[in-house]
Amino acid sequence: MRDSDALENNPHVSRSALEAIHGQVYGWALSRCDFDHATAEDLMQQAYVELLSGSARFDNKATLKTFVFGVVQNLARSRFRRVSTRLRLVRQYRQESITDAVEAIEPVIDDGLWRAVRALPARQRDIIELVFCRDLTIEQAASVMGVSTGTGRVHYDRAKKALRSRLQDWAEQ
Amino acid sequence: MTISDETLREQVSRAWRRAAGEDHSSFDSVWQSAQQRHAALRRRYRRFASVAAVAAVIVIGLNLQTAEEEATYIEIADLLDSTYWSAPSDVLLPDREFDIYRDMPVLFESTEPAGGALL
Repeated sequence: MRDSDALENNPHVSRSALEAIHGQVYGWALSRCDFDHATAEDLMQQAYVELLSGSARFDNKATLKTFVFGVVQNLARSRFRRVSTRLRLVRQYRQESITDAVEAIEPVIDDGLWRAVRALPARQRDIIELVFCRDLTIEQAASVMGVSTGTGRVHYDRAKKALRSRLQDWAEQ
Repeated sequence: MTISDETLREQVSRAWRRAAGEDHSSFDSVWQSAQQRHAALRRRYRRFASVAAVAAVIVIGLNLQTAEEEATYIEIADLLDSTYWSAPSDVLLPDREFDIYRDMPVLFESTEPAGGALL
């Protein structure tokens, strides 16, 4: 199927389809970079450039949403790997502390549940976000994260259990 | 009390929305910037390809020029002044090749003196 606004180098991807999932992908990009909007927007632009140039080619095997989430995830990984390498090099040559530069931009929210979510291990947090907030199935979420469905299911169950027990603790208090 | 999946989903989703805030880049602005970046990338690749093509043409041209090297002949005076000599070009090699099976026996069996010594 080829839409009228399909991309030149990615015939199975159309501008309108990307527009329809933009909000959700933006949310995912936002959580990839600790809720820094400027970085999230840059990440989104980079993902769209990958799709426009055909470097990330969608072959219709998965859903477009899963595919674009995966592109954003890979870009975020490589970007932060680069950043951490640079920081390591800077640390080697500069003796003074640069902790200010690496401090995460955590949103200041006085919300117990949010704190509980943030306290989860990275993979559990990711799968909870993908399934609960981005409406993906566990299979799709596992494929975005690059893990097997079984592993995804384990992370999902552990995350739910941890959140439940935290919520119950608060309810009892 | 057991919290159902639906309740958990709703609460986590709400917390996430609060954390992300209302600030949201519009698709059009992000898409437009992405298109500009893509166009700039293509221009850069095209420039690089044309520079590479020009460089390749220059290298090939220079190689062709060196292949058309003129044959130079050996000056006898230079040869006598030096103990080292190397052929300036392969074009100076003799056309006739030495046949070891036909020519050598004649040389070995020769009793003709040359410069006071037998060959």
